[in-house]
Amino acid sequence: MAVPKPQAHSPASYVGTLVGESTSREFRLAVAADALREQDIIAVDAELHRPEDGSVEPIRVWAKVQRVERLNPLFPSEAGHELAATRTNPFDTVLSLSREMVTAVCAVLGAEPLDGKVGKLDHLRYPAQPASTAYRPAPEDVARVVLGDLADRRNRSLDIATLANRPDVNVSADGHAIVTRHLAILAMTGAGKSWAARRIIEQLAAKNYPIVIFDPHGDYTGLTEVEGLQGRVQRYFARFPLFDEDSETVAEIVDSLGYPLSDTMRTRFGDVFEAARSFLADDPAERRDRVRWLADTLHRADITEIGVETNMWLVARIAEAGELVLRSDDPAERQQLEDWGWRGFTTYSKQDVRTLEAIKKRTYRAAAALSQMERQSRKIAGEAQPLPTNRQELVRYGRISVISLAGYTSDFQATIYSIIANDIFEARVREELRLPVLLLLEEAHNFAPGQAYTPAERRAITTTKQIAQEGRKFRVGLILVSQRPSRLDETTLSQCNSFIIMRMVNPADQSYVRKVIESLGEDEARMLPDLEVGEAILSGQFTSLPILVKIKPPESKGEREETDAFEELERIHAAPAQ
Amino acid sequence: MTDPLPTSPLTIENVQHDLQRHPLIFMRLAENALTVAESLRNNYFHNTATFVAALRMAARRESPIIAMRDVSDLRWGDLQGEVVTFIDGGVGEVQISSQVPVLLRVGSYCVRTGERNLAEREQFGYYPVILGDLEGGSKERKDFIDIVRITAELLGGLAVLERTPDLKVLMFHGPLVYMVGAYAGHTPFTEHDIDLFLQQYAPDPTMGQSLKESFLHEAALDVYPRLAPGRADEWAARRLFEPLSWMAFLYRRLISVARARTPRPLVAGVVERGGLRDFSERVLLERVFKGLRERGNVNYFNAMYGRSDLTTPKTLLDRLGYTDTLLLAMLLTPGEMCESWEMHKYEGLRHGNIALPGEGFESVVNFDELKPGPHGFPRVIGTYVQATSTTEPVRVEVFADLGEDQALEVARRVYLYSRLLPGYGFPVGLDIADKYAKVPAWMTDAYSKLIRLQLGISLQTGEVDDATMREILVQAIYMTHRDWLFRPEA
Repeated sequence: MAVPKPQAHSPASYVGTLVGESTSREFRLAVAADALREQDIIAVDAELHRPEDGSVEPIRVWAKVQRVERLNPLFPSEAGHELAATRTNPFDTVLSLSREMVTAVCAVLGAEPLDGKVGKLDHLRYPAQPASTAYRPAPEDVARVVLGDLADRRNRSLDIATLANRPDVNVSADGHAIVTRHLAILAMTGAGKSWAARRIIEQLAAKNYPIVIFDPHGDYTGLTEVEGLQGRVQRYFARFPLFDEDSETVAEIVDSLGYPLSDTMRTRFGDVFEAARSFLADDPAERRDRVRWLADTLHRADITEIGVETNMWLVARIAEAGELVLRSDDPAERQQLEDWGWRGFTTYSKQDVRTLEAIKKRTYRAAAALSQMERQSRKIAGEAQPLPTNRQELVRYGRISVISLAGYTSDFQATIYSIIANDIFEARVREELRLPVLLLLEEAHNFAPGQAYTPAERRAITTTKQIAQEGRKFRVGLILVSQRPSRLDETTLSQCNSFIIMRMVNPADQSYVRKVIESLGEDEARMLPDLEVGEAILSGQFTSLPILVKIKPPESKGEREETDAFEELERIHAAPAQ
Repeated sequence: MTDPLPTSPLTIENVQHDLQRHPLIFMRLAENALTVAESLRNNYFHNTATFVAALRMAARRESPIIAMRDVSDLRWGDLQGEVVTFIDGGVGEVQISSQVPVLLRVGSYCVRTGERNLAEREQFGYYPVILGDLEGGSKERKDFIDIVRITAELLGGLAVLERTPDLKVLMFHGPLVYMVGAYAGHTPFTEHDIDLFLQQYAPDPTMGQSLKESFLHEAALDVYPRLAPGRADEWAARRLFEPLSWMAFLYRRLISVARARTPRPLVAGVVERGGLRDFSERVLLERVFKGLRERGNVNYFNAMYGRSDLTTPKTLLDRLGYTDTLLLAMLLTPGEMCESWEMHKYEGLRHGNIALPGEGFESVVNFDELKPGPHGFPRVIGTYVQATSTTEPVRVEVFADLGEDQALEVARRVYLYSRLLPGYGFPVGLDIADKYAKVPAWMTDAYSKLIRLQLGISLQTGEVDDATMREILVQAIYMTHRDWLFRPEA
């Protein structure tokens, strides 16, 4: 085998010289001022001697700059204090300011043959030689190494970013790892996490992967405007199809939007709900009679005029009617209700009056809250459809389903999410749903909180945790997007094999992320508060090495992308009043 | 900018209290108290306070016993655009079985105050000398390294002065001129040695050649005939560079280049931790004793200490262990300099012996001829500057031939520069040059390994067959001075 000769690198690519102790994990570079930045990718050529056959293999050692140290050994700190005390500019004195020693501490990423074309790095088993020259590799070589195995599987790669310090180097991520082994996008507000998520969604959509987005704030409404996604994005508003749900689900909704239901109430609530479901007969004349009866019983003439719909108000009114019938103790009316579908109503005792009264109050309250939220949600969702009863319709080849949860309380959002996500997951488990799917959870800490305080949260966390743990088997992937990582469930987060971590200043979030994400190094964690908007550390299985990148802009805009408040004010003021 | 001056009345108790508050003075006096004769030990501290109280009083009277001047008025704003160069030499020693000097390098740090462009603001230069390369000098003498360092520093200063037309201050770390009498008698340098020096210092070969030829011409005509009347022609014919004559020539060259400049640059040496008694003996105590004699109180010190021999400055200093820096530390307040005086640097220059390169015998040389004069060493003016209350005064030396104002102007700058290192009390620029000139450990370690390797090869190849020599070499290779394995037999 012909041994490739070490390449001559241009002076422009030179970045430093290896000094001091060199190990297979770390080395230090003496560098010129401003030659390197933290997280830069550099390379050092070395030779690997093989004692078994005496051959010498030229290799390229890849490393990442962990930190850069500047030291002026000729500037005594004592003089610095004196300058400060006397408010003297050091330039005005005889102090030396020019002799800085700049050292870059580099973590070894791995090594490859000098003529390597694959991009997959092997573990370095013998350190690079001190006094070796470090250089800035060509963009295509960096891209190849960052791509790693993906070079051979281009169909899996997602074009999501460039190197933060080298905009000329594209960084691709492994889409397969994202859709099968879950991704977490973690950042503080305004750091660009929705931006990153939209970029990934657009890239996955280009590969026709079915995606369901739970969108609590309307961040993904702009996807419909992306040229390449025309006709492929469907927005849904969560007008909850109440009577397509079972009574337990509806009880959960009442529980979370009204007051909690006791066990006794839950038992009776099932009867009430089923009575409401069967109250509206198919025959129009019969239906009119029943509505008239309801209006008379409740002394609400308007019910006859406006009619009734299959919603929470109907459930509440049936509960109230049942309560009134029980109080009147009229056997004929009791029998009539049982005939209309209220199971066992004739056997109800006087004690059930109070139970029905309690259910009535809770359901009316839930109905009011639900109505208000539905109105808001619909307004925010804009041109959107109601959620399909058959959840499998949300999962379609080449389609993105955006479920707008805006306007609902976090509890109701969690309830809607857990119902839908659970249905989809169950459908995959039962093999009723043919296609794989990726679920994106914006504000994921509301759907997988570390501490669940309400039944809605408990149900949501159970669902999310189950998908996180078993989703890989059934091809249900998760993208968790959160601005409060420390409030995320640890098990769920640790099941994510890939991470996009952006600017984060909250110390609790930083330490939590550092604790849970094994692939995040100490130096990377330290950088989190200093990242720019749009900068991110990619870490985990979807990238060959942890790397600092700048996420490419998505084509879509988010609903909440802010305009200047004062410009907005002036625009409104200038517009003619309506 | 200065530390607050003591305001308490000049009583012995207050002075004693004041001296006790200064850790440095207190420690020095405590050391002295342990080393002086037993008869002087009792009340040493109290008696010193009594003496210092009297001196302080004498220094504050209308016609003070010595002039002290405030030099703290200078501000950095007054010095903008001033070009200053600091020079220092460092020695690298390798550890074999003992410390052996092998490398020397002189560093220069040139800075233009106020300049914001770093490339324009600062220039560093360093000039290494490998001692083993030199043929001349008496390498067996411990002070061999000193004559090389002094020569190298001088050439460094001269090179800087010639290269920097707008140089305002040239400051050496250490005495401007050493007590050169101690260095008399070294085997002269050869022309090859001087070429090695000049390679580093002369900006172009012709300048070095000119310097060399100027010296040889002067030496042949005026210097060697006075130093070695019987062999002067031979010295000149062999183009030898007698070290002290060469140094004196370089000093005179330095002065003549400086004198030709307008404005005239300040050239100075600054000494820390000096042990001299020149100022105390010849100026301060001379006046004290004169005053005592005038007042018929010549036994003032004898009465105080209960002795009979404390009647001259010399005996007083000998017996009580006072030095210039100790006495002046007790007299000067921060920001003050004492009056300058002409230093006695050349009393050691007298007849001595020299062996020329390649000669196994010595001949007599009259070094007395190198005392200040047309072809000798220059006259030097000294003064002391107190930078802070917690450090010793530093000694400043300037050339008398460059003008009387040099001492004051240098003292003002020394004080200003030293204020940036209050814990050290020494000009910060010289500290920078000191660090820069230091031969790094990795370099001397590398030399040490190289020397050990060569010794090892000699042993392995059988070049050394003498048993004792072999044993010594083995120790030299493997032994460090703290190596337990090679401890002496009990």
